[in-house]
Amino acid sequence: MNKLALLVALPLITAFLLPVINRASALAGRWSGPLILLITSALGISMWSQLGDNAVAVELGGFRPPLGITLYADQMAILFAVAASLGTLLLWPNGGEDRVRQSTLALILAASGSGLALSGDLFNIYVFYELVAVVSYGLIAAQASSGSYAATIRYLVVSSFGAAMALTGIALVYQATGTLNLAQLAQLAPTQLNNTQGLAAFVLMLIGFGVKAELFPVNTWVPEVYATAPTRISGLLAGVVSKLALLIIVRLLVLVFHQPEALTVMLVLGIMGVVSGELAAWRARDFKRMIAFSSIGQLGIVFIAFAIPGKAGIFAGLAVALHHLVVKPALFLLAERWNGSLSNLAGAAKTSPLAAALFILLALSLIGVPPLPGFWAKLLVLVELSQQAQPLYYLGAFVILAGAALEANYLFRVASRFYHTEKAQTAPAAHRMPELATASLLCAALAGSVFVLSPLAEQIESIAAQAADAAHYIQTVNPETLP
Amino acid sequence: MDTGLILYTAAFGLILIGSAGIVLSTHLVRTIFGIALLEAGANLLLLLATYREGNSAPIIVDGRIPAAMADPVPQALVLTAIVIGVGILALALSLALRVQRAYGTLDLREIRQRLEQDIADEAGIELSSSSDAPQAVASRQEGQA
Repeated sequence: MNKLALLVALPLITAFLLPVINRASALAGRWSGPLILLITSALGISMWSQLGDNAVAVELGGFRPPLGITLYADQMAILFAVAASLGTLLLWPNGGEDRVRQSTLALILAASGSGLALSGDLFNIYVFYELVAVVSYGLIAAQASSGSYAATIRYLVVSSFGAAMALTGIALVYQATGTLNLAQLAQLAPTQLNNTQGLAAFVLMLIGFGVKAELFPVNTWVPEVYATAPTRISGLLAGVVSKLALLIIVRLLVLVFHQPEALTVMLVLGIMGVVSGELAAWRARDFKRMIAFSSIGQLGIVFIAFAIPGKAGIFAGLAVALHHLVVKPALFLLAERWNGSLSNLAGAAKTSPLAAALFILLALSLIGVPPLPGFWAKLLVLVELSQQAQPLYYLGAFVILAGAALEANYLFRVASRFYHTEKAQTAPAAHRMPELATASLLCAALAGSVFVLSPLAEQIESIAAQAADAAHYIQTVNPETLP
Repeated sequence: MDTGLILYTAAFGLILIGSAGIVLSTHLVRTIFGIALLEAGANLLLLLATYREGNSAPIIVDGRIPAAMADPVPQALVLTAIVIGVGILALALSLALRVQRAYGTLDLREIRQRLEQDIADEAGIELSSSSDAPQAVASRQEGQA
């Protein structure tokens, strides 16, 4: 199981070798990046199949935790590590003359994303999180337009503020416990962190890691960045990176912070995310910002779901998150040609009939129309919410339903415009082959999952059960007690 | 007053000043300095987590182990955090330079306005007027005067 480190190390080494490789042979420079990501994805999937119900922990360099650095792999961690590799592969940047630099950044993104998913140590999580942030600044600014520079610097300010908040939270945790190893924190948390200081640390870290997960007050960057960044990068940030940040928050909730107030904070912020995101998406007049705001709303639903205590909440949240992981990148790939005003999309189904059909499938699943997976994910959240006999949870369920109605309104408004008989004067061009192929692949995965829904649900439930088991985490890592 | 209290006050003070600078400042470079102050505060707080007055550095000299050693872990962590912070500071300043070249201004309200305009232009839609647009602010001030 030492292969685990390769998921991080291989793309990282390749990233730094890439300029050299490219000088030797441009062909090798072009293909080595995707090839390495293919290898790490395959490696991850093979480890997943070996893993089963027992998680593994790897002590890097043979140093025992808490002094050494731990990598922890349960099914959820490997799932998201593979999502980071595979997602970067599917949304590989187009490049142009800047190809080598963008490939390097994309590889570092895959490496640090996998590291974020596998890390078993709070400080390593912080370092990988910052690495993901810095790499995304570079990838957004690679658009090289004045808008993308301005959006990047505004994103950088919010993100750095969040990172400093997270660091402050980490300092509070260290002050209370004297360790940052997650397994050891899980042992100490019930006695040392079950107080106001622990709650403050959680809120600080929630705000910090929530920046990338598009959490309500710190998501001002979302519409600007997604509207100005290269569309593939927008898809990557909305689809994959946001889920990695969510994974961290789930880990913190399961292992370290057990206060009921922590869940209430998440619930309230999630509700506000759904309300603000869906309303803004309803008002949006251009395609890219519409799906950017809808992404805020969808992630709000995930936050609401994770606020349900216990395994059930993780199961429901994971289902919505995985659904969004597939749908949103596909929508951004379609936005490559539909980036203009919504009124320009009239009659767009004539020039690109397949893209219009894919959009309708994605929209139906996003709204939650049975039998598509989006319906089952939302139903799961609603059922679990209705079982929490508290008014705030009922409010969450109501907001999700109202949000779905708004989603239906704005998505169908676009879809019906595609089939207008009179074409807009500046109709968008037909989609290019690579984007259309990748979007079709994602849609095929979405539609295909309808037929394997019940084994899929069992699989996700077992992932959630394993992730919710703090005792199993402690036992697997088995840290030495501090002297 | 003992040193610990002064240092804690300093750490939280830096965090407060930095946050206020990020939220209130309208000048991009001052906002970036706000980030630097905020990070300095967070680093100091992390360093203070295990601070005890009078502890010596955790170094064994001539086989003699000091009686009270400082915890080396936060020091290593803060070193890493400082390095990350400096890298991001450099990146932020170089991006600010790019923005200044593109828009000819470092005023955050103006940058936001131009960014909205850029996005609207690219999408081919008309910009809805924003209340904190520089022109609106200027005209409001004129109205008051």
